Amino acid sequence: MKAKFAVVACAAALFTVSLPVLAHHSFAAEYDEKKPVTLKGTVTKVEWTNPHARFYVDVKDDSGKTINWNFELASPNVLIRNGWTRKSLKEGDQVTVQGSQAKDGAYLANARSVVLADGRKVFAGSSAEAEKEKQQ
Amino acid sequence: MRFLNAAVLTVIAIAPVFAQENVNAPAAATSPAGSGGLRRGPQVPKGPTPRLADGHPDFSGVWNGGGPVGDLTQGLAKGEKIPLLPEAEALMKSRDSKDDPEANCLPTGVPRIAPYPWRIVQTPTHVFFLFEGNIHSYRQIFMNGKHPEDPDPTWYGHSTAKWDGDTLVVDTVGFNDKFWFDFRGHPHTEKLHTIERYTRTDFGTLQNDVTIDDPGAYSKPFTLHFTARLRPGEELMEYICQENNQDVNHIKGKAGTP
Repeated sequence: MKAKFAVVACAAALFTVSLPVLAHHSFAAEYDEKKPVTLKGTVTKVEWTNPHARFYVDVKDDSGKTINWNFELASPNVLIRNGWTRKSLKEGDQVTVQGSQAKDGAYLANARSVVLADGRKVFAGSSAEAEKEKQQ
Repeated sequence: MRFLNAAVLTVIAIAPVFAQENVNAPAAATSPAGSGGLRRGPQVPKGPTPRLADGHPDFSGVWNGGGPVGDLTQGLAKGEKIPLLPEAEALMKSRDSKDDPEANCLPTGVPRIAPYPWRIVQTPTHVFFLFEGNIHSYRQIFMNGKHPEDPDPTWYGHSTAKWDGDTLVVDTVGFNDKFWFDFRGHPHTEKLHTIERYTRTDFGTLQNDVTIDDPGAYSKPFTLHFTARLRPGEELMEYICQENNQDVNHIKGKAGTP
């Protein structure tokens, strides 16, 4: 992958704790922590489904081509228990997403943090919770 | 820490507590599966083990953890090694992570647990484990029951239970060989026999000491220790894993990584 997308290589980004990663499968077998991505675009679809909630974002690369990225979240139950709802993120939202890309190079990533255009963190409840946990 | 960030650095930095919570295991060698995605939530009230009218401990409630998620060996006592037979080790090494039944929305079997809460329902004749995750399925345990002579192999086997003082001893045979013990692909055969010893040591703690006896895959029986924590006020929610499981198409490489 060329420098199409802003690739965050600094460790600081990894400390931006926001979204819980929970799965019925091995995380390391699907996602590559060494492939952190930061992507900006428009939410095209939200799937409030199991085993993972997902949302899709149209992201423009450097050549102007639009690519629809697929972002995996935890299960809806996990998200709900962390204070989110199925309406926390919706079609048309402008977002910046940080995550880890799939090992197979697909336009798929595990979302770690989602920030709206106005700077609000979509899943702020989780973020706060994570910070609190971190201090304990 | 009750849930995990993807970042390895974070994992190292925060020393998480996992679903397969085990006091003997080092925090670093853990699975990124997390502990149920539950908030820290209300403090678990301290207090003695609750009891039923007949004097036996009351295990009912919603629990988190109590079995392996990423790595079965985390339940071993310090210094112990898993007595894998060579053919079982070869099978384990040959396994691809994408073939993990749980990743494919099939049951965890015993003693593996999904990183989601579960409920114990206790009646005089049956004990039920209701799982939110683990494909939203259940185990049924027959109190003072008898195993059939030649049970059909199944994902959860045939379970009977009896009291040994304050400990509920669950004896299970009749397993199929399809489920994996963990993300790493620890195997077993249809000869598997498990003995789970559940003790509610106080209000918020359920200890599970489970003996794995499978001469088809392990040279001798071994015992694992896991602890489940009560989630007061928590209710199970729906989790239909088959709904939108896109993961298996993207899971790469051998099992072995928790």
